Amino acid sequence: MKTPAVVLCLGLQAAAATLIAAEAPAPCCPPPDPAKAAPCCPAPAPEVARKDAPCCTELAAARPLSAKSLYQLDVTWTNDAGQAVSLASFRGRPLTLAMIFASCEYACPVLVDDIRRMRALLPEEVRANTPVVLVSFDTVRDTPAALRAFRERMKLDGAWILLRGEAAPVQELAMLLGVKFKQDARGQFAHSNLFTVLNTEGEIVHQHAGLMGDVSSPAKVIASLGR
Amino acid sequence: MRCRRHCFLLVLAVAGALLGARGEEAGVAGMALVPAGDYAPLLRGKDDPALVPVAAFWLDVRPVTNAEFLEFVRAQPRWRRSRVSPLFADEGYLADWAGDLELGPRAPADAPVVRVSWFAARAYAQASGKRLPTTAEWERAAAAGFAQADGASEAGFKATVLAWLVQPTPAPLPPAGSGRANYFGVRDLLSLVWEWVDDFNTAMVTGESRADSGLERTLFCGSGAAGVRDPSDYPAFMRTGFRSSLRANYAVPNLGFRCALSR
Repeated sequence: MKTPAVVLCLGLQAAAATLIAAEAPAPCCPPPDPAKAAPCCPAPAPEVARKDAPCCTELAAARPLSAKSLYQLDVTWTNDAGQAVSLASFRGRPLTLAMIFASCEYACPVLVDDIRRMRALLPEEVRANTPVVLVSFDTVRDTPAALRAFRERMKLDGAWILLRGEAAPVQELAMLLGVKFKQDARGQFAHSNLFTVLNTEGEIVHQHAGLMGDVSSPAKVIASLGR
Repeated sequence: MRCRRHCFLLVLAVAGALLGARGEEAGVAGMALVPAGDYAPLLRGKDDPALVPVAAFWLDVRPVTNAEFLEFVRAQPRWRRSRVSPLFADEGYLADWAGDLELGPRAPADAPVVRVSWFAARAYAQASGKRLPTTAEWERAAAAGFAQADGASEAGFKATVLAWLVQPTPAPLPPAGSGRANYFGVRDLLSLVWEWVDDFNTAMVTGESRADSGLERTLFCGSGAAGVRDPSDYPAFMRTGFRSSLRANYAVPNLGFRCALSR
């Protein structure tokens, strides 16, 4: 049997490592190069600006985030292609956000279908500029390959971003969204059926609870944000 | 600050090593060891086991006090009342305190800190090199009576717990740790304030049974108490209902926390 002291020391070392990680300064975004930025995003012409979204996102990143922005979270997720993704990279566009797990037998496919129905109500130019992010509860089974299979099964196009993360950030995101979840004995997750609309600054502006309901309200909210 | 924390951890580790060298259980100051055992969830799905094994863990003997939380916000300004993000704590956060760094008459130094959000409680725990207990751990510790490990079969224990529930909360709150120690040496679990648990959002009894979650279908189909471990365990219903009503940025009166540490 291991001596308790050793176990305790290891535990404390791990805790200390967490502390160090937590105190590491957030990676700093380089300020936008004004020479490059200036011709691309003239302030008085928002229509033009939206077409140059990547450049505008860079510009937006220079402004401090609002206190209610979920984009304050310094978390790196992994998409179904295995690439690192930060939620803050969606700044500048309205976002639809939901939590799912790929082996879900009932609710998640319905939830995905609800979001699809909601997107069908959007004007095409808004839909094209409004990504959907699905974050998995299942930190163990939902590897990038499992999410890729989910994408194929559900026939999700490039507007849908499928993300996985570690247990702590998944829990934190669920807490911020008010999503409840619990894994049962078979490994299935009971969870809130909820999708959330974030505005261009990453603030929660609308939440839609329930399945197979009327999705016109979130569609209206997104259309007004994307205009 | 970093040095102070690390020195603190180092001292703890050395103390632990010394105790361990003498062949004793390495104690952690202010914490009690809750031995491995089972947790019987109040509510469970039809496929879930009746008993969930809980590994041995350390639990703070008493809830975190105002004085201790003040030290924390001194060290971490982003958790001060005037600076905290509304994402992480609502407008009730530390509202009993007289100021950002001043406790005042409504928040005695030795009383449990209340009106703290889950995010703030978790940040405090991390800064102390600890974590929040899980629901299973908290309930496992709270299931002990005063004289025996199983409170449910201890004469008078249930009545004592119920007596607290029917009493109005005194203001200001009495000192943390003034309650009677339970069988594991833990105090105030059922007699002072409600407490955050790390996974409070797994309590799925939502108001909207039609709408927003899947568990009620298996739990509450038929009759409300089907699938419930012990329909007479009123305090457990209260805790489950209370947890399910919370959101992680809520900072409400009478809700504090204590920390845990894996063994």
